[in-house]
Amino acid sequence: MISISKLLCGLDAEGDGLRYDAAGESAKPQITDHKQRRPVVVWNLTKQCNLSCSHCYAAADTETADGELTTEEGKRVLDDLADYGVPVVLFSGGEPLVRDDLPELIEYADASGIRPVLSTNGTLITTEIARELREAGLKYAGISVDGLPERNDAFRGQDGAFDAAVRGIRACLDAGLKTGLRYTITERNAADLPAVVDLLHDEGVDRFCFYHLDYGGRGAGIVDADLSPEEKRAAVKQLCDLTRRYHDHGDEIETLLVGNYTDAAYLVEYARQHLSEANAERIDDYLRRNGGDPTGERVADIDYQGNVHLTQFWQNYSLGNVRDRPFSAIWDDDSNPLLEALRNREQRLSGRCADCQYQDICRGASRLRALSVHDDPFAPDPQCYLKEDEIVPTV
Amino acid sequence: MAEQSNWSRVGEQPRDAVDREWEVFIRNESRDPLQHVGSVSAPTIETARTQATTLFGRYATDLWLCPATDVRRYSRTTIDERAVSVDSEGERDERGHSA
Ligand code: SF4
Repeated sequence: MISISKLLCGLDAEGDGLRYDAAGESAKPQITDHKQRRPVVVWNLTKQCNLSCSHCYAAADTETADGELTTEEGKRVLDDLADYGVPVVLFSGGEPLVRDDLPELIEYADASGIRPVLSTNGTLITTEIARELREAGLKYAGISVDGLPERNDAFRGQDGAFDAAVRGIRACLDAGLKTGLRYTITERNAADLPAVVDLLHDEGVDRFCFYHLDYGGRGAGIVDADLSPEEKRAAVKQLCDLTRRYHDHGDEIETLLVGNYTDAAYLVEYARQHLSEANAERIDDYLRRNGGDPTGERVADIDYQGNVHLTQFWQNYSLGNVRDRPFSAIWDDDSNPLLEALRNREQRLSGRCADCQYQDICRGASRLRALSVHDDPFAPDPQCYLKEDEIVPTV
Repeated sequence: MAEQSNWSRVGEQPRDAVDREWEVFIRNESRDPLQHVGSVSAPTIETARTQATTLFGRYATDLWLCPATDVRRYSRTTIDERAVSVDSEGERDERGHSA
């Protein structure tokens, strides 16, 4: 996760302690000091969902699937995550709100010292539910909207999904719950991006999280719907410009990018071009502490059946199952050669990544996209949008 | 006999979040033990083999695949609420019937 607002506009937001080794510089309370040591864990609580989004990495279903971790099993998992020092659990799905025990699990995580956050399509959130979630200890709700109403509803497979999500956002904000947008950028919805930010900002949203498409789940079937690298670069530039414009007008929105660490390299280039060399160096320094693509290190996933994955998008390979072995033991097992190689990938990255001057702040970006397109987890990310002369600068 | 007590059979729960689940085992040197390195989800054995060799081929001279449903897993520490307790007379379900 890369914060555009932090890097380009200096916004000091809660959560930066997880992304950058900058706790000492922040005026706001930081989440934890385990930031680089333990992963943020995404827990896909259920496969069931009330929508049917075309890019869903969890390939969610309208029916409940067998083998979901029970409430008690979930609490044992949370015990292990807490003992291990996991700072944040992101409750996700499917749609996590279809599980009745969501508030109970949130409360348990919070009481165990784990920061509970939620990823939801927002359409099931009423004022009462929002209040219940906040009282349970939920710290943040990320609500997915993927375009202006017509486009969003087509994408999500349901008429009225946009309006329902906005109602959910309002309910969360009314309940005093920190709430933000989740937006997966594709070829179909990139054009809507500024208008969606404007519209939701008017609703009171001030945190906007943009996801690059990763090639897992149903997303794998829509590789063709991804932007070209050039279009992706233009979309990210548009977000940088938009963030600066808002901040120039005194609106301190928080904007974040997820899922393509080419963005880290691009932000340095952007700062060099639009701000100053000194700013570019400062940003480069921050990003170096951030450590690049987090796969296998700072992010992990547990699916609804307890299978542990490298990321929430990488669902067709599992490192192990929490019913067999605690998450902490699975994650600490460096004898798994793939896990070890991903953690020490510098010598293994090939092609343009091998000589890239930004390798230490990017680390080759998405290994899943490389695997999906090149059948090689150490090949270059097909969605690297840096220009050749930026990768190896001409002398 | 202490080694015979407190075992439960794990994993009667489905593991096929995406497709069928295949356990992957590898060995790199002939003197090494076979090592379990996780599982891949794939609809067929051919796809499972392709996925497993893509991920682990460079670290292995032997690679075994086994359908997860054909593996009986016994544990003394599982969190599986539906694990079946095992005693000297065999495996019993919640009603005490032999499994
Ligand atoms: S060439 Fe590789 S390391 Fe460099 S920015 Fe692109 S993806 Fe990242």
